[in-house]
Amino acid sequence: MGIDRRSFISLVAGGVAGSLFTPVIWKSLDDVSIWTQNWPWIPRLQYGEEAKVPALCKLGADAYGIQVKTVAGRPVAAEGDADHPLSQGGICPLGAASVHMLYSPSRVKNPKLKDGSSFKDISWEEAEDLLAGKIKEAGAGVAMISGDETGSVTDVLAGLVGKAGSDKTFLMPGESAPAAAALAMIGGDGQVGYDIENASYVLLLGADALGSWGNVARNGKALGASREKGVKFVYVGPAQNGTSAVCDSWVPCAPGTEAVLALGLAAVISAGGRDRASWAGYADFAKFVQSAYAPEKVSEITGVSVDVIKGLAQELVRAGRPLVLTAAGAGQGLGAFEMAASMSLNLLLERVNTVGGVRILPWSPKVVESAPEKKALLAADLAGYLTSVAEGAVEAPALLMVHAANPAYAMPNLAKAQAAIDKAGFVVSFSPFMDETAAMADLIMPDCYAFERLDDAYSPYGSGQPNYTVAGAIIKPVYDTKPAGDVILSVAAKAGLELGFETFEDVVKAKAEALGADFDALVEGGPWLGEEFPVQELALWATPLKEIPVTAADGKSLALAVAFQLKVGSAKVAIPPFNTNAIRFNEMLGKDMYVLMNGATAKNLGVKKDDAVKLSAASGECKARVRIFEGVMNDTVVAPLGFGHTAWDDFSRGKGDNVFKLLAAEAEGETGLSRFATARVTVSKA
Amino acid sequence: MQAKEFKVKWGMVVDLDKCTGCGACSVACKAENNLPPEVDASNKLRTNDWMNIYELSNEKPFPDHEVAYLPRPCMQCGKPSCSTVCPVVATLKDEEGGIVSQIYPRCIGCRYCMAACPYHARYFNWFDPIWPEGMEKVLTPYTSTRPRGVVEKCTFCHHRFMAAKEQARMNGEDPTELAEDAYIPACAEVCPTGAIKFGDLNNPEHEVSKLAASENAFRLLVKLGTDPQVYYYSKREWVRKLGDNYLKNAKGGEHV
Repeated sequence: MGIDRRSFISLVAGGVAGSLFTPVIWKSLDDVSIWTQNWPWIPRLQYGEEAKVPALCKLGADAYGIQVKTVAGRPVAAEGDADHPLSQGGICPLGAASVHMLYSPSRVKNPKLKDGSSFKDISWEEAEDLLAGKIKEAGAGVAMISGDETGSVTDVLAGLVGKAGSDKTFLMPGESAPAAAALAMIGGDGQVGYDIENASYVLLLGADALGSWGNVARNGKALGASREKGVKFVYVGPAQNGTSAVCDSWVPCAPGTEAVLALGLAAVISAGGRDRASWAGYADFAKFVQSAYAPEKVSEITGVSVDVIKGLAQELVRAGRPLVLTAAGAGQGLGAFEMAASMSLNLLLERVNTVGGVRILPWSPKVVESAPEKKALLAADLAGYLTSVAEGAVEAPALLMVHAANPAYAMPNLAKAQAAIDKAGFVVSFSPFMDETAAMADLIMPDCYAFERLDDAYSPYGSGQPNYTVAGAIIKPVYDTKPAGDVILSVAAKAGLELGFETFEDVVKAKAEALGADFDALVEGGPWLGEEFPVQELALWATPLKEIPVTAADGKSLALAVAFQLKVGSAKVAIPPFNTNAIRFNEMLGKDMYVLMNGATAKNLGVKKDDAVKLSAASGECKARVRIFEGVMNDTVVAPLGFGHTAWDDFSRGKGDNVFKLLAAEAEGETGLSRFATARVTVSKA
Repeated sequence: MQAKEFKVKWGMVVDLDKCTGCGACSVACKAENNLPPEVDASNKLRTNDWMNIYELSNEKPFPDHEVAYLPRPCMQCGKPSCSTVCPVVATLKDEEGGIVSQIYPRCIGCRYCMAACPYHARYFNWFDPIWPEGMEKVLTPYTSTRPRGVVEKCTFCHHRFMAAKEQARMNGEDPTELAEDAYIPACAEVCPTGAIKFGDLNNPEHEVSKLAASENAFRLLVKLGTDPQVYYYSKREWVRKLGDNYLKNAKGGEHV
């Protein structure tokens, strides 16, 4: 019997139809799709009992309470702490990525000693003995830099330096120092705070309050609530940003001239006819601002029209509870004199020492005897010191200890800061991460990461109310690291410089006691809140009045406006692995970062979208690409801080360029503090 | 096609007048849902980011320029384009609550759904999910890790919905009548300005249903008929116009 065409087709068709009725094929297909997704290198989930533990996040601009979710004791994710006054349930993009930093590829896993151009592993005992020996050797030649102005580890480290007979105790540049100096200029003494929640009108003079300034999560909650309450937020600054996007209005103002606008507003308000003659210092102040800061002149310097200046002044006067906040674009670098200009505006509006206004918070209590007072610590200027060391005007420290700070990355006059660190006899880093400073150090004594140790924070800058938060360890150290506070106390004892405490926990307990707080309740997550605000006699204005120096436009260079976005890191932390996706396509192209300028400026320069350019200042150069963004003032270029890391890991290293290279610091006459808010750069095709 | 109606319809309203584009929602989403970190995220064609934040511009020159930020999760459409084209029924909208599901082991990676989704809310896993050594220890127990070759997307943190229902059952309550704060996705929970609100669009007591009914509320590309369950809110007219791909040079003025 032969098979003809018809019977062949019937056979095949019948076979196909028949196979459709068997589950074997379908089951096999289903299994194949599962098998091909079941690779051993894809991690499997681990389950266990879930809990939420209070913790502290210090990665960004401030320190605030968070809740860490744990599964079988493992931290897995972070969210805001609804009961914490600086979080109120919100979290910043660094806080959201904080748990993953526990296992960041840039963690330093054990103590390391410089060995030629690399490091060799050493034991903790060797490391502590070595450091104790170096401290004894260096004596008064010891210096320290801390990037944690809220925590007691800084007190312990500063206490050790003080006990060794040195006064070289420095904090990284920030807003607290110029704010405290500004308050002193009007006769106050204390930490400056802002009661943003209770204000009815908020004028942000350069303060990127929702992006990088002060208590970002808390500020965000205040803005969110304000929308329903009809509170007006006005952002004044050279470029649009996340803050300006949600404020009721944006007032373009040349970078670094926000304080000039403040004095211009003060001039208009003081000329308003209200009798303030009985106020201390008022007559001189009013005369000064009215003669030196006439609206026309202020308009010329700031680029803000006379009408807008007068309109803002009227709004401030009419608002029931106005509040003026001043800051430099990057959340640091403003001079104290400029800060005082803004403070005087608050004073003029009778908004200091009052609900919804500027609050004076008591200083954190001092518990380590040999540590300097907080005020003295803030008055010591790091940028000036490092520059002097680099230039040979001041002797380099024999021993430099760096805690929670990355001065080799985040300082103005960066090349000089790096040169100064290089000149130091012996550099010790307590960083948990291989940051730029750790990479330059001679000895790394890796600190435990935030969730592996006890830590505390007293009223981060901006807090409207005194507060104290303590967080215990959530997890045992995942690597061979030790808490810096305990290590410093142990090393101090070995060096024969007893600080009066055996463990760091004792220091925190002493601080809690000094505040009248219960340590156990604090560790369980209930922050302490102070109700007392020192009442002080203030005057307009104790320091001799003079005009604010302004760098004039020269027609060749552009004003530089720096922008800080927490999603790409902070002065302490590089881009976390989980944050690379949050960088938008118009913020980075491959490994090049974008700088922003408007169409008119770009046309003047002869550059187009995506052109590679070089930004040059006297202190350094940066490479970038051009993005045309119309939310920037004319003759201004916006450059992002937070890129251009040379250490850290693949997620952050070699991406973009470090704009700190362009920032030059100059000493302020009145306070000796460095100011670096204004810079001009030339932009040329690369 | 007949759209399935649900008694409870979970929805989101994002107040664009409060969003600063900070990125906290985006990072929290990655952490909660076990999306792997990516070294190079500049190439947005290959990144995996369930919650993406777009920058909107009114396209006027300085000084009249304005900017707004728009976070974009999956729209959980009432009439989803994605599920109708899926050849293996890996994506479907059939559960009470109206969330569009995505069953990873069933997905064959054909990417028809990606082509169909007008919101670019679906992501193909171009790479195996690799965490830096040790970082896999922070994986949450909520969502399985997805291998290379499958498509994934935002699920409104569906696991939180399941947990909330379970909790309600344990409390002797009706799981179909959850309280407003019983179930909130990670992005809405962490938002520092409270721009993201979440709840039942069908429940007049829930804030989202009131916000969604506001004259300032709008949905993305609503003219396509996908009936999204994500609403946006802005008092700025130019922002609302952009939501429906308004073409300022289109003939006839109003674009329908």
